[in-house]
Amino acid sequence: MSPEIIRLIAQATLDTLAMVAAAAGLGTLLGLPIGVFLATSRTGELLAAPRLNLGLGMLVNVTRSTPFIILVVAIIPFTRLIAGTSIGTGAAIVPLTVAATPFIARLVEGAIREVDHGLVEAARAMGATPLAIVRKVLIPEALPAIVLGLTLAIVSLLGFSAMVGAVGGGGLGDLGIRYGYQRFMPDVMLVVVAVLVILVQAVQTVGDRLARRLNKRLRTA
Amino acid sequence: MSALASTAPPAHLFSVTPDRAVSALSASPAPAISDRAPTRKIRTLVALEGVGKVFAGRRGQSPVAALEDIDLNVADGEILGVIGRSGAGKSTLIRLVNGLEQATSGRVLLDGVDVTAQPESAWRQARRGIGMIFQHFNLLSSRTVFDNVALPLEIAGASRGEVAPRVKELLALVDLSDKAGRYPAELSGGQKQRVGIARALATRPRLLLCDEATSALDPETTRSILALLARVNRELGVTILLITHEIPVIKEICHQVAVIEGGRIVEQGDVFEVLTRPAHPATRALVSSVVGVELPKSVADSLLPMPVPGGRTVLRISFTSENATAPVVSRISTVVGVDLNILAGRIDSIGERPFGVLVVAVPSHGPALAAVQASLRSLALETEQLGHVA
Ligand SMILES: Nc1ncnc2c1ncn2[C@@H]1O[C@H](COP(=O)(O)OP(=O)(O)OP(=O)(O)O)[C@@H](O)[C@H]1O
Ligand SMILES: [Mg+2]
Repeated sequence: MSPEIIRLIAQATLDTLAMVAAAAGLGTLLGLPIGVFLATSRTGELLAAPRLNLGLGMLVNVTRSTPFIILVVAIIPFTRLIAGTSIGTGAAIVPLTVAATPFIARLVEGAIREVDHGLVEAARAMGATPLAIVRKVLIPEALPAIVLGLTLAIVSLLGFSAMVGAVGGGGLGDLGIRYGYQRFMPDVMLVVVAVLVILVQAVQTVGDRLARRLNKRLRTA
Repeated sequence: MSALASTAPPAHLFSVTPDRAVSALSASPAPAISDRAPTRKIRTLVALEGVGKVFAGRRGQSPVAALEDIDLNVADGEILGVIGRSGAGKSTLIRLVNGLEQATSGRVLLDGVDVTAQPESAWRQARRGIGMIFQHFNLLSSRTVFDNVALPLEIAGASRGEVAPRVKELLALVDLSDKAGRYPAELSGGQKQRVGIARALATRPRLLLCDEATSALDPETTRSILALLARVNRELGVTILLITHEIPVIKEICHQVAVIEGGRIVEQGDVFEVLTRPAHPATRALVSSVVGVELPKSVADSLLPMPVPGGRTVLRISFTSENATAPVVSRISTVVGVDLNILAGRIDSIGERPFGVLVVAVPSHGPALAAVQASLRSLALETEQLGHVA
């Protein structure tokens, strides 16, 4: 493999990491509050707002059921509005974030719903406001599950990021298609897949460890 | 002991002043409860007046009337227990007192103030003066023991400087100082409930609500938790409203009891009175296993409604006053000259008061029975004729 190719692989790895990190970060920033809201806003719940809950839930479902590659193309005008262009690694962060947000929101919703309702009762009995209950009870108690959910989201984003080559985004997937497939360089393809495997492994391992560290429920001394 | 003596409840707790609960934390040490008790006016801390609660039926289901026409007063400084079977409405009742449920009819008064329809924001303030403990403890698994106890203080807006000493004091009170850095998963059930009690007392409430606080614990641990609650009541002057389905809980620490059945209170009063003279069938059913005595099966099976020649009459004697420890049997034997056959018996105590039941057989004919009954009457003992045996 030529030094030129090795440089390309290194660059593509950095691009992938940058896209995934940015999308995961923004997706969490947006998805966490949406997830908390979805989990607490049905009738009779802490932040009861059933209509908004229904509307937001539908929006989340629509986004989640749209295949990623179609989503990328469909929101090109939106991407251009946000990023100034619809082409390139920076612009690719927009569709990745749009895909990650509802995914993370649903994962957070699930994690929050798992929190024992008795804890909410106890906090209410102490005179806690709904916001205090979210901040001091729901999120800390759901944190291990949220971390596992984010791990899953990041792994999925690594997969999605391979598709943004279709709109001129860079990264490992793009490199694999252009060199490995179109120029028929199987060794490049192999290295790209190997790097992705290592990234997925690393993310999963770190996520699992962190979730276990945060989980104080099953301590074996 | 010393941890308790140095603390006193705030003068007024169901206040709507935003910073009351917080300022109470830094209150200067007040005289010990025992010094103040004689001068304190007995007042009603919690009053339910004709309270009803109907849960609107979920889709297609009919509404559930969980409580109907409940009248209940909890006097300042006492321990009132509400006992009833599963589904009787106990949890619903206790949750009305801190606004976790809203009454659909009647009035709820806290320290004389009608809170029935007060908005959630006012309830939040009021709840800081009402502690609550739960059957399943409801501790945050993500927080250490220390941080669990600190939670209500954080919620009340106490500063860091106020929180640490108060939490230490509370952990000393419940004897868990050495577990401050542990997580709930590392504690036994009894220890978890102690944390729950420390947490509930953090903002120095004057009222403590206990929803089946010992139902998940073994009898031994139950006793230690009840002893702690009794101490909290006695030494801190905290009024306690507890609900339970276990008569031993009532017997052990309550002063007053209300029996709830099908959403209605069917009997209430002084614990000793209600337990020793249960009037309602529901109360009798609850009480029999604890303060009643079981006749030996052979005797119970051979009980006859009418006396038989040469047979004996079975009497149940209840000892409910100072005579509970009197040597009744020997006295009757010597004074009346009749031998009593003891069939069953039990000596127990309700609160601090001794209580006993003795089932005896006396010859049905001749002067013996009348003499024994007269003698029992003179000793002010209650007797009940259960039947006759051959
Ligand atoms: N949120 C609710 N919606 C509808 N019905 C309810 C609700 N909460 C309680 N109920 C009903 O009200 C009745 C009383 O319930 P409650 O929980 O007060 O009983 P309990 O005496 O505490 O029973 P347990 O000893 O089992 O805890 C029950 O019939 C129950 O099904
Ligand atoms: Mg209950």
